[in-house]
Amino acid sequence: MLDVSDLSVSYGTIRAVRGISFTLGKGELVSLLGANGAGKSSTLKCIAGALKASGGSITLGGKDITSASPEQVVRAGLATVPETRDVFPDLTVAENLMLGAYIHRRDQAGNRQNLERLHTLFPRLAERSHQPAGTLSGGEQQMLVIARALMSRPTVLLLDEPSLGLAPAIVERIFEMIETLKKSGLTILLVEQNVNQALAVADRAYVMRLGTVVTSGTPDEIRATSDLSAHYLGG
Amino acid sequence: MAFAIQFVIDVLSLGGAYALMALGLVIIYGILRLVNFAYGELIMVAGYTMFLTSGSGLPWIIMAVLAVVMAIVFGIITDYAAFRPVRAKSVTAVLITSFAFSNLLQNAALLFISPRPRNVPLPEIFSETVSIGGAITPVRNLITIAASIVLLAAVAFLMRKTTLGIAMRAAATNFTMARMLGVPANLIISSAFALSGFLAGVVGILWIGRIGTVVPGVGMEPLLIAFIATVIGGMRSLPGAVVGGFLLALIDTTLNYSLSQDLLKFRDAFTFSLVIVILLWRPEGLIKGPASGQRT
Amino acid sequence: MKHAYLTALILIAVILIIGVGSQLLGIRLYDRIATNLLISLVLVVGLQTFMGNSGLLSFAHIGFMGLGAYTSAVLTIPAQMKGMALPDLYDFMKVVEVSPLVAMLAAGILAAVVAAVVAYPLMRLSDAASVITSFALLVVLYTIMNNWSAFTNGPRTLFGLPKTTDMPIAAIVAAIVVVVALLFKESRTGKLLRASREDEVAAAALGANIPHLRWRAFILAAFIAGIGGALWGHFITSFAPKAFYLKETFLIVTMLVIGGANTVTGAVAGTVLITIAYEGLRSTEGAINATSFGAGQVIGLTEIVLALAMIAVMILKPGGLFPNREIGHIITRARRKKETTA
Repeated sequence: MLDVSDLSVSYGTIRAVRGISFTLGKGELVSLLGANGAGKSSTLKCIAGALKASGGSITLGGKDITSASPEQVVRAGLATVPETRDVFPDLTVAENLMLGAYIHRRDQAGNRQNLERLHTLFPRLAERSHQPAGTLSGGEQQMLVIARALMSRPTVLLLDEPSLGLAPAIVERIFEMIETLKKSGLTILLVEQNVNQALAVADRAYVMRLGTVVTSGTPDEIRATSDLSAHYLGG
Repeated sequence: MAFAIQFVIDVLSLGGAYALMALGLVIIYGILRLVNFAYGELIMVAGYTMFLTSGSGLPWIIMAVLAVVMAIVFGIITDYAAFRPVRAKSVTAVLITSFAFSNLLQNAALLFISPRPRNVPLPEIFSETVSIGGAITPVRNLITIAASIVLLAAVAFLMRKTTLGIAMRAAATNFTMARMLGVPANLIISSAFALSGFLAGVVGILWIGRIGTVVPGVGMEPLLIAFIATVIGGMRSLPGAVVGGFLLALIDTTLNYSLSQDLLKFRDAFTFSLVIVILLWRPEGLIKGPASGQRT
Repeated sequence: MKHAYLTALILIAVILIIGVGSQLLGIRLYDRIATNLLISLVLVVGLQTFMGNSGLLSFAHIGFMGLGAYTSAVLTIPAQMKGMALPDLYDFMKVVEVSPLVAMLAAGILAAVVAAVVAYPLMRLSDAASVITSFALLVVLYTIMNNWSAFTNGPRTLFGLPKTTDMPIAAIVAAIVVVVALLFKESRTGKLLRASREDEVAAAALGANIPHLRWRAFILAAFIAGIGGALWGHFITSFAPKAFYLKETFLIVTMLVIGGANTVTGAVAGTVLITIAYEGLRSTEGAINATSFGAGQVIGLTEIVLALAMIAVMILKPGGLFPNREIGHIITRARRKKETTA
């Protein structure tokens, strides 16, 4: 579904990502693991079109999106949930969700249907529909950002650190929800620092360090790699 | 009583015009974090369009519509000429190009039309006066009040109820995120410039209607007014810009009635010192805008 | 460091060539143009000391030039002429009459003091807030010049300044200002400021108090602007406040930006280039006006061309002609390269 091959990303002279490759099959949940500064978020931003690749290629469903703008990427069927949990704080929850469906704005019936489905998945959002998004709690904002991404009806979802800074009980719920989404057939790329949780839901995982992929395989294979914790603690 | 009515009408008509001017400037600033120095020239364009069509025998309202359309067109041209090519380079680059573009338009008017004031056609009603509760007031003040109410309501509707408006508000807080939802950057920016041009066009007709003539430098005062009002009102908040416009009108009108002629000459120095003080105290303006945001 | 001397040498040579060249031609018009150019050079290089090192755009520079011009005027207009030139002047000032050199220094100092007082709090602002405040400052200074009739004769033209500025004096002042700008650029303040332009956080980590550094640069720029204003006042001998407003601001900002705001070489190159273009366009305008009887005056053409040039430069070469290296540096590098290849 999503093929990243030999991708490099640079900030000026600093190379954050140095020629990494990985693939996501249809319906697969793949985790991208690694310590802070390993290059995970840069990889994600680059796929989402928010950063320019300095080398390599990205294809989505056979279509080249390497140098696509963020708006082209979402039209191609890939939605992003950034780690900064960017709700539009002054807009209401309903307005946030409506913007999520921006590329389908001519299909109001489809959007309504999609919204109903998401409201059953996230009942809190239905309750708070007319509240400004800035007044929601951290967990609710995370739900909103995920729901908003789903309003674009993506085939691939990028999730960047969805558990960051949230209470354990809420993290639990987020991961439950990620599993529900996976069961519905969505292809998901999950970037996480929370290794155990991420491996518990993933089909496969890649471990990044200093901008390259150092290990990959099934969760069991990854767990068996003895130096895994070293990648996290040693950065 | 008559004085109170007079005062209120003065504040409201001046404030309505100021609010529209400020709104047109802040719409661009809110989304791009960039100041459009060529904003005043959109008002000039509206004025000269009226002058150039005055001999055509068209009904006045058609001329007015044409003037607004030209202001919109030049608003969009500003984007293409001064903003789009350098937007990604640096803030300073855009400030300089918009400053240069402002000079370009002014001097084009100087060269192709005239440095001397040109008459702008105005309907009879602009020069009539009515008496309200004993206060003699020009009808054009009432027209300004009515027009600003209608326009402010229309802008509020656009920004709150339409997808485009909501997308523009979203882009004003977080441009990158809006793009990641599929909102096209260029459409949003062009719409902002078009809306800015529209407001400049309407306010241009009302503003020039006060004096009846247009000169190449006519946009300077509205630009300065818009600066002050947006600084008072918070540089990124649309409602703030409106509040700032009315507040400035209140300050100006009060100074007009209370200062002696000698001190009144220094009014601009007072108001601009006020601007500096406010910016020092709150660099984002008096009324806080949307939480965070970055440029692209 | 060695290339800084070379830069100073080359730029002074340029000033000399302009000066001597204009004399050799022996046409009074060229003498006037050369003097004007050298005065512009003082103003543009002055602006460079602030803009180039801090990276902040300042619109207030011309306001300080005006301050300098009026200060020098009040101090030098002969006592017997003051009654006519400045009828509302305060009595105790009427008797003051100092030499133009002292007046010029006083003009620089007054501009610097006003800048120091006004700008201290402003220097912590960045981006749009800083540009709007500098713009507001220009409007405030202009409004004061336009209305404080006692000192400025209001919006009317002030006349009666002794004509003491000639080409050699302008050349000397320009050469001094170029050296000062280069010294400032290489000073600790200048270096830290330039570091802050690239990366505010890193410079702050080095212990740089950025607003304070900017403040120093702003004072220096205002001082030079004040000197430049006095110099210009004694050249033109009569002027009105509108000489110190947007049109002039646009011109010197154009010169600096096209030449390259980050380097003194850029400031000099921009001034020379724009002055030549400006005079060329002006005489073209004049020629057109002389031939087309009654067809209306051609005005604004010069500004249109300059504005287009400015936009083009910002798009194609946003750093200007000399974006980051001084001429001395460029030459030493080129020579070294030649040596290594040979």
